[in-house]
Amino acid sequence: MNEHLKRLLEVKQIGIMTFDRDWTVVEIDQVAKTILATVEQSMSDRRLSAIFPELIGSESYIEEILDKKNNDLRLDYINRPDLNGNLKFLNLMILPSDRPNCGSLVLEDVTERALALQQINQQKYELFLYRHNSEFRRRFLSDSILGDSQAIRDLRETIHKVSRIPTTTVLLMGETGSGKNLAARVIHYSSMPADAPFVEINCAALPEHLLESELFGYEKGAFTHAVAQRQGLLEEAKGGTIFLDEIGELPINMQAKLLHVLETKKFRRLGSNQTIDVRSRIISATNRDLQHEVNRKNFREDLFYRLNVVSIRLAPLREMGDDIITIATHLLKIFNIEFKKMVNGFSDDAKQAMLNYSWPGNVRELSNCLERTMIFIEKDQIDAQDLIFFQSPSPQILPANQNWTVPSNGIVLEDVERQLIMSALTLARNNKSKAARLLGLTRDTLRYRLEKYQLE
Amino acid sequence: MADCCFVLLREPFSDTIHTMKNALVIKKKICLIGSFAVGKTSLIEQFVYNRFDETYLTTIGVKISQKILPPVEDHQCGRTIQHTFLIWDIAGIEKFDHMALNYFRGASGALAVADLTRRETIEELHKYCESFLTVNSTADLVIIGNKIDIFHEDQHIISDLRKVAEHYSTDFLLTSAKSGEYVDHAFLMLSKKIGNIS
Repeated sequence: MNEHLKRLLEVKQIGIMTFDRDWTVVEIDQVAKTILATVEQSMSDRRLSAIFPELIGSESYIEEILDKKNNDLRLDYINRPDLNGNLKFLNLMILPSDRPNCGSLVLEDVTERALALQQINQQKYELFLYRHNSEFRRRFLSDSILGDSQAIRDLRETIHKVSRIPTTTVLLMGETGSGKNLAARVIHYSSMPADAPFVEINCAALPEHLLESELFGYEKGAFTHAVAQRQGLLEEAKGGTIFLDEIGELPINMQAKLLHVLETKKFRRLGSNQTIDVRSRIISATNRDLQHEVNRKNFREDLFYRLNVVSIRLAPLREMGDDIITIATHLLKIFNIEFKKMVNGFSDDAKQAMLNYSWPGNVRELSNCLERTMIFIEKDQIDAQDLIFFQSPSPQILPANQNWTVPSNGIVLEDVERQLIMSALTLARNNKSKAARLLGLTRDTLRYRLEKYQLE
Repeated sequence: MADCCFVLLREPFSDTIHTMKNALVIKKKICLIGSFAVGKTSLIEQFVYNRFDETYLTTIGVKISQKILPPVEDHQCGRTIQHTFLIWDIAGIEKFDHMALNYFRGASGALAVADLTRRETIEELHKYCESFLTVNSTADLVIIGNKIDIFHEDQHIISDLRKVAEHYSTDFLLTSAKSGEYVDHAFLMLSKKIGNIS
């Protein structure tokens, strides 16, 4: 082999081994030695089949290469563990050699390329499986419920069981922000074909007359503004799931109508006398104690029992122990990506502070808290004092008739402004963004004034 | 004629055969073929190491595992025989080009694996089996329906699997890499077919 070619192979980190007809290695260059050393391949046994058992079975074909009857033999992405147990990927190629009765084995470490390919394939195949395989979807979605506390394990188990029966009515109960919406989606996507509709309606967000037409749909002319026929959400959810969020807020009249639908599994569009079959799973959710609302006559008892075929209680965050840290760590990853930051974790104090806090708004509040923290933080670790547990009070708007009086001996307005800025900086622990918010200024305006008063 | 001698005469290059003390060591290359995520890697992990990992990690290229079976006395040969499987875990191939076929070269047999919960993977067995037999026309096949632990008995799927097995004049077996059910049976069935074990 000429020197230029040798140099090129060395630069490209491509190793060469020469072997004879007995499959004994007769020459090995430095690059090949280095590659083999990384995969803990000793050269005590110089038989090619001992170094590369991958070649077993190809003996006759390799013989033909040595006889120059075949051009080459390529084996790409041979998997080998390295010294740390991580996978290395090697490309092998057998070629005829210039040396009589010998062959050359060309060796290349292609680990980086292979790992990139693996990542691409992994995503491609997972997406395919997610779309086409309900069992995979169930497992995948189950993993999206984070944590390992007993409460979370019970929740996963119940969801897994409910997902197997795609017609069962489910009632999700839990405090605001405890993940009822996520649980509903996991149940839906785990039990239905990937393209089945998931129709969500917030019972508290719509006035009663709109709620009825939204749910049942209407015929043209059913009421003044019904200029065309429209399908209701119950119809749109055909073959899928209808998710009735905040069911505890459903007006009492609508409760009777919904009960009728649940009992007969049929409904009619407004203005129509034709019945339509309900062919969807109904999942409802509430943060109210529905039994209590039944006792107070705010919620129909018969509807409660109809909805409560399988009830799932979602534990509040404060009952989830160390899972709070698991969820916070997951959210941190997301905010790192979103805000292009490199915060790598929480100090022990920060973890303790999160564990001690009661989280009345549950995961939603935890998420908001960390989002606020991540906006302001400029370190690589979150400490307890960086966590902003409560929404900062809004800047006090002074009443228009507030009387500010100038002392009889006069005042320098700039001194007052300077004092207020210094006070805000102290309150915000020198965080300029926070100080600006306390003063009702933008960060840029504050920076301008800091320069003006030489407070930098 | 004894099985070991038969193997030796039939395909002198596909096996590595040498003596170890008094024992005759026979190495056989067998491949696991089939679409992605049907459980080929998990079947090997279960057979070779008795373990199962829920996490799906797609295989890139090829990984060889070795399983040494307990030595057996062959009375006809009058020798002890040590069977070793070189098991090739081959990534689900999308393009059956010359390079991909190199993975199959010199194999004595293959387990062609489908996922019982994904019917299309049974149809796809044909292209894997055809390509495999193009390179190894005399090799043996066993058709595997994997993931029996999550399979809801469906006669159409069983029937599809049976048809594939009949097409290649071989048998089929339902396995679970997760529970280990019939995994050893699958490998033993293949080794019997290729004349490895009497």
